[in-house]
Amino acid sequence: MLKSGLGIARRALGRSLSTSAHEDWDIVIVGGGPAGLALASALGSSQLVRESLRVALVEASDLSKIREWTPAEGAFSNRASSLTHKSQTFLRDIRAWEHVDETRTCPIEDMQVWDGVSDSRIEFSSSLLATELPMARMTENLNLQRGLLRHLANVPQVQILDSSRVQSIDHPEGSNWPLVHLDSGRVLRSRLLVGADGFNSPVRAFANISSFGWAYDTHAIVATMSHQPRGAFMGPNTTAYQRFLPTGPIAFLPLSPVASSLVWSSKPPLVAALKASEPDVLATMINAAFRLPDVSMRYLHDLILDAHASGSPLAAPQVQAEVAWREKSHGIDAMSAYTSIRSTVQGIPPADAELLPPLVTSLQPGTVASFPLRFNHIDSYLGEGGRTVLVGDAAHTVHPLAGQGLNLGLADVECLSRCIEQALTNGGDVGSRTALLPYAQERYLANHKVMSVMDKLHKLYSTSFEPVVWARSVGLEVLNELDSVKTALMMEASGKDTPASPWDSAATVVENLAGVKNVVGTSLSSILRAVSSRSK
Amino acid sequence: MFAAAIRRSSTRALVARYSTSTSSVNPAEIAHFSRLSSEWWDESPSGEFSFLHQMNPVRVRFIREKLLEVARDAQENPPLNVLRGMEVLDVGCGGGLLSESLARLGAKTLGIDASEANISIARLHAAQDPGFASSLSYQHTPAEALLAESDKRYDVVCSMEVLEHVDNPTGFLDTCAKLVKPGGHLFLATISRTALAYFLTIFMAEDVLRKVARGTHTHSKFIRPEELTEFFRTYPNTESPWVRGQPTRTQVEVRGMVYNPLSSSWILAPRDAWGADGCNYVFWVRKPNI
Ligand SMILES: Cc1cc2nc3c(=O)[nH]c(=O)nc-3n(C[C@H](O)[C@H](O)[C@H](O)COP(=O)(O)OP(=O)(O)OC[C@H]3O[C@@H](n4cnc5c(N)ncnc54)[C@H](O)[C@@H]3O)c2cc1C
Repeated sequence: MLKSGLGIARRALGRSLSTSAHEDWDIVIVGGGPAGLALASALGSSQLVRESLRVALVEASDLSKIREWTPAEGAFSNRASSLTHKSQTFLRDIRAWEHVDETRTCPIEDMQVWDGVSDSRIEFSSSLLATELPMARMTENLNLQRGLLRHLANVPQVQILDSSRVQSIDHPEGSNWPLVHLDSGRVLRSRLLVGADGFNSPVRAFANISSFGWAYDTHAIVATMSHQPRGAFMGPNTTAYQRFLPTGPIAFLPLSPVASSLVWSSKPPLVAALKASEPDVLATMINAAFRLPDVSMRYLHDLILDAHASGSPLAAPQVQAEVAWREKSHGIDAMSAYTSIRSTVQGIPPADAELLPPLVTSLQPGTVASFPLRFNHIDSYLGEGGRTVLVGDAAHTVHPLAGQGLNLGLADVECLSRCIEQALTNGGDVGSRTALLPYAQERYLANHKVMSVMDKLHKLYSTSFEPVVWARSVGLEVLNELDSVKTALMMEASGKDTPASPWDSAATVVENLAGVKNVVGTSLSSILRAVSSRSK
Repeated sequence: MFAAAIRRSSTRALVARYSTSTSSVNPAEIAHFSRLSSEWWDESPSGEFSFLHQMNPVRVRFIREKLLEVARDAQENPPLNVLRGMEVLDVGCGGGLLSESLARLGAKTLGIDASEANISIARLHAAQDPGFASSLSYQHTPAEALLAESDKRYDVVCSMEVLEHVDNPTGFLDTCAKLVKPGGHLFLATISRTALAYFLTIFMAEDVLRKVARGTHTHSKFIRPEELTEFFRTYPNTESPWVRGQPTRTQVEVRGMVYNPLSSSWILAPRDAWGADGCNYVFWVRKPNI
């Protein structure tokens, strides 16, 4: 009766399993973006994890640039995200938020969302939430990442290996423990490998996790906009504005009293032309896009596109003259909130001023950028046989129209760190399928719901298919549907987890409206029936 | 030879093939057992032992929380890693599912099994994991032999899903009980002999769903929780039994385990949940501190 034996087995196994020397880790996170750093922080904030696991985070870029990020006063990065109440609560709970420079963040207390064709409008307000936190807080990704890195500086148990690119991942024969090969020659063997490595996730490729998705025929243009402070008679700059144009939504998200963040989704050629224009042209177009009727926006788009194609782009005064002319033809007078040509915002503001964002005066240099929009969702959050999971953009990319991308990633991180702690409490192997299955189940469903609502909304609003536009212009349907999205957002924002997610009802309503779209494809009378029966 | 934790017919066939071989390890055996080990440790729903994998966290939780509760009776704020440093014996360890978890929680764990194949599987799996330095060892032996061979006794003795397979449960319980230190703990998990248990574990699991190899269970061998409690009312004798008077939570406890097919996970039924111990249950009893 041989009592030892583990040693013999290990030596025999060692010979057959690997040839090169490797380091052993319990968790290797690939990716030092917001999701990866938040996961490292969440794990580092748990005493149980600190006592039982060795955690490493691998990032290709040099993170000292983020650690030492010192933006000029008043200047803001163009990558900023609206962190929901739920995300903020999570970041506070793991004690990372205290390292984020809150003076650079901006609460969103109200939201104004309207349809660019029918002008039907819906308002959201934090005051409807029974909490003290605002419904969301605009936070630069860099500010968040720097805060997470500062938090991690106090957690020596989590090691950060930056300026290290993952070159390949494999596993030894007869074992499913991943071996992560870095460009420095180091090889990390990990009990659990977490892919937080963004849209082109090498971890996803290694784990052979397929995904489902498509590129939208839409790009987003981002920029940091400067504007006048709100007048004395108006509220502070804490309202987010979003207008759904048929070419895509345009959003104005507050960063400070005199700066806001732009996310304008539109057709790729138009985005290219706008990006190539001089900054004042873009600023004029942004102001117009929140104000002019859709028919005039389409006219202006064509002008910009033609000028861009002919190689002689328009100058700002030409565009401003065009806008002034269009305003006149729509009967928008010089005192109206809907004119973009007013030079100052002094005195008593025009009626309706709060329905529109402040007028953009300029764009911060170097902040105009664009990126393609995609819908992508992995088929499984868990690699076959366990040992690999994905979080953040590696798992999903979503249309930015409700600013949920990063929030979904943070919710992934919250759930995964909870499952890891749970497994540790019960002596589980944190890389095992049993430990990770609850994560995979919970996040797939939750993200899928949110993502499909975003996707359907995008499709619904971007169509110019006549009967659908007509249905939108009827107003009621759109309001109903926005209302359910609003409920979902508010519930999400207040962090209330109900068994029946609000996204369920939102999805149903949006689904129904998409159903209307199919119905109208067949005949106008059927949509009339559909609409009238649904508005009863 | 009643302590055999033979759980599946496939394992049984293996035992027949390998129980005569010696313990020396050769590469062909390593290759063979690592294949078996990966089958044993296949946690996917199609894996033969997936039910055990799903059940394991619930049992560990029961063990840990029970030990914590007892520790709290003795001291105000006991350390949460209550298993750290404890000497634990896992009787009928199979592929090492429970043994690994207990070792990970810091217990000095010995897993024993009468099937040599199981011990090889368990060793190979543990050898992959650098986390078990000296905290985990395995031995191919029946419990009786271990008892006879040394005076070593354990803080905690566990035997999960073994009782329903043994031919002489009284003798088996006696052996396990003797391996416990005074003041130590005995944990058992098994299946009750009820119509529900027959329906779920034999009719559904073996005959209808074929989740478990046919012939794995024999209904007449199932033991009801009250029979176990009753056993310890007169064990080791009527003068100083392990359980006396009204059973209280400081002497003995039974908790049902309920399967939730929607999330494919097991939950520990709340205390005294009516009927929850009608099928799979966990049992704890404490040896008096003499
Ligand atoms: C150009 C652009 C602009 C955006 N603007 C906005 C916006 O305005 N608002 C908004 O809400 N969202 C925006 N998004 C989306 C948002 O940035 C993402 O949702 C968020 O960054 C996702 O975080 P993540 O940590 O999951 O992934 P990422 O931020 O993509 O991080 C992945 C990390 O993995 C690292 N990595 C990848 N491969 C390797 C490797 N082989 N080895 C080592 N490291 C590796 C990368 O260096 C990177 O740091 C934008 C995205 C892009 C691409």
